Amino acid sequence: MSSNRLGVASDDGRPKPPLLAQPSFSWIGVLPFLLFVFFFLILPSLTLFVGAFQDRDGNFTLENIRGLALPNILSAYWVTIRISVTTALMGGIFGFFLAYSLVTGNMPAWVRSSMATFCGVASNFAGVPLAQAFIFTLGRVGLVTVLLRDLFGIDLYDRGFNLYSFWGLSVTYLYFQLPLMVLVITPAIEGLQREWREAAENLGATPGQYWRYIGIPVLMPSLLGSMILLFGNSFGAYATALSLTGGLINLVTILIGSQIRGDVLHNPNLGYALAVGMVVVMSVMMVIYYALRRRSEYWLKR
Amino acid sequence: MSFLILENLSKVFHNVTAVEDFNLSVERGEFISFLGPSGCGKTTTLRMIAGFETPTAGRIILNDKDITHVPPNRRNVGMVFQSYALFPNMTVAQNIAFGLRIRKEPEDKIKGRVAEMLALVHLEDKGNNFPHQLSGGQQQRVALARALAIRPQVLLLDEPLSALDAKIRVALRAEIRSIQRELGITAIYVTHDQEEALSISDRIVVMLQGKIEQIGTPFEIYNFPATNFVASFVGTLNTAEAEVLDPEQGILLMDGVRFISADEDVRTKRRGDKVRMSIRPERLSFAAELHKDNVLDCVIENITFLGSVVRIQVRIGNTKFNMDTFNNPFLALPRIGERSKVTCSKEAVLVLKD
Ligand SMILES: Nc1ncnc2c1ncn2[C@@H]1O[C@H](COP(=O)(O)OP(=O)(O)OP(=O)(O)O)[C@@H](O)[C@H]1O
Ligand SMILES: [Mg+2]
Repeated sequence: MSSNRLGVASDDGRPKPPLLAQPSFSWIGVLPFLLFVFFFLILPSLTLFVGAFQDRDGNFTLENIRGLALPNILSAYWVTIRISVTTALMGGIFGFFLAYSLVTGNMPAWVRSSMATFCGVASNFAGVPLAQAFIFTLGRVGLVTVLLRDLFGIDLYDRGFNLYSFWGLSVTYLYFQLPLMVLVITPAIEGLQREWREAAENLGATPGQYWRYIGIPVLMPSLLGSMILLFGNSFGAYATALSLTGGLINLVTILIGSQIRGDVLHNPNLGYALAVGMVVVMSVMMVIYYALRRRSEYWLKR
Repeated sequence: MSFLILENLSKVFHNVTAVEDFNLSVERGEFISFLGPSGCGKTTTLRMIAGFETPTAGRIILNDKDITHVPPNRRNVGMVFQSYALFPNMTVAQNIAFGLRIRKEPEDKIKGRVAEMLALVHLEDKGNNFPHQLSGGQQQRVALARALAIRPQVLLLDEPLSALDAKIRVALRAEIRSIQRELGITAIYVTHDQEEALSISDRIVVMLQGKIEQIGTPFEIYNFPATNFVASFVGTLNTAEAEVLDPEQGILLMDGVRFISADEDVRTKRRGDKVRMSIRPERLSFAAELHKDNVLDCVIENITFLGSVVRIQVRIGNTKFNMDTFNNPFLALPRIGERSKVTCSKEAVLVLKD
């Protein structure tokens, strides 16, 4: 490879004049992007990172980082990761099936387009309104809870359901996770050629074998990409959880919020450290994601 | 009994009749083409044989077994698609091996068969490539190898060459034909390219609007078209309105020009009947031999050089006719606007069926 490039550079035996002899202004086009990245990504990250290693007076300290090992903080990370993985997997799997039936089912065009619109809206429905909506329907005296109890004699809360718990919060998150999955995976499903399926069948494969050997492997890179997006989406969620459980569930984002808003716990530097911890977790997830993605895309590379 | 029989086959989609009362018997080892314009039901018929569409009526009998309702994955017919449809996540060798793996054949047998198929399509060194690393022509060869690897009873090809450029198309169609002959496999080939159908087939089924217009060898289809549609769709054809002057002698009058036809159908007409007369371009020639039945005054209107053939447009009366002559570098071409004479035998002058 490199010998090739050298060969091109000096095919007449003499070095070519430097390519940048004339001033180029093409970088001006990227300037807005670079400014954006600097002010909204690099600068805040630096502030966080620096702040995480400072005490209130701005002196260097490792105290905040050590604080991350406190039991309640570790458990907050653990709950946050669990809830993100759970809702990414569930939203991912159910969203995939929903998208698949939307794409392949012979539904009228208006059903598909209104579903797409609904998913666009629902995937952005979060925070206080979403929490309120769930409290009004699935809360202790919510509409669905009461109807189930009075009409069918099914008492959700007697049976162990609790909206203000891990699973309650997961169900609430699924309200935006599932439509988000539908939105991001639909183009990939549409990219599956009908002929692949027919060729597989023609060669003797059952529908199950088609999915196992062709459908799933071809979709795998997109599935992984969508799930990591879902993971990040719930990993960073804050307002929904706060207004649903009022801090009953100990999420990292809620901890950060309480460090930065000036109440009893006020310690912005610990908040920065918590945020740096989240960046680390997310980076680890990204590394795992890239590793899996590389493996699942073996047939595109080379 | 024929190897593959399509009996009164019909397919209706909602309210569109795609195929209507289709009857065809195919012998073992025969190469059949379905030829017709877009939307005439070629693909639909092929997909019914493959099992991807269920006939609305009729039966499909393959090797004495009624397969009308057998699911596609148990029919053992090979299919080659226009879009190649190679599995993108598998190498060439894995693609070819797919059908055999599904059949749980022993691994060493699969290996041998894959090597054999790769050799058959001349891609011995591409076994480890992924489909996207191959050219279109190479991908279609792999698709052919994949379909043949399972030793199908029938090979179905749906416009397999229409995504390729002209040169490769011609080379690959000859290759498909020679492989088909070598293996003695029964093949059905869908195309809307009449030249392709004429060059490759044992028999051609010409279709129009879901119905069969004519079944015959390329020779029959070209020289003795059964319907107007076949006559005009296959090859180039000059047609003109004419009036019957003398049914006994086969004399027709077009724009005041007399033509003599040997077509039996003229005998069945009456004097004064209007008919549509047709002459193939290659049956016309310059009047070097004046003893021919028809010697006609004409004006040269246009000359198109097509390589081995030169197509000359002449005006006879008020009607333009195409005339094909072999290119001969030692003969001067006429000039546009020149007056000349063309001739043709009376056997060349046909009357189209109504
Ligand atoms: N799944 C379907 N649903 C409804 N109509 C269909 C379907 N498949 C085919 N048709 C209709 O049936 C008719 C025949 O289609 P078909 O695809 O068999 O034509 P074709 O001869 O293969 O044409 P082409 O040369 O364009 O491929 C067309 O009018 C087409 O619109
Ligand atoms: Mg077709």
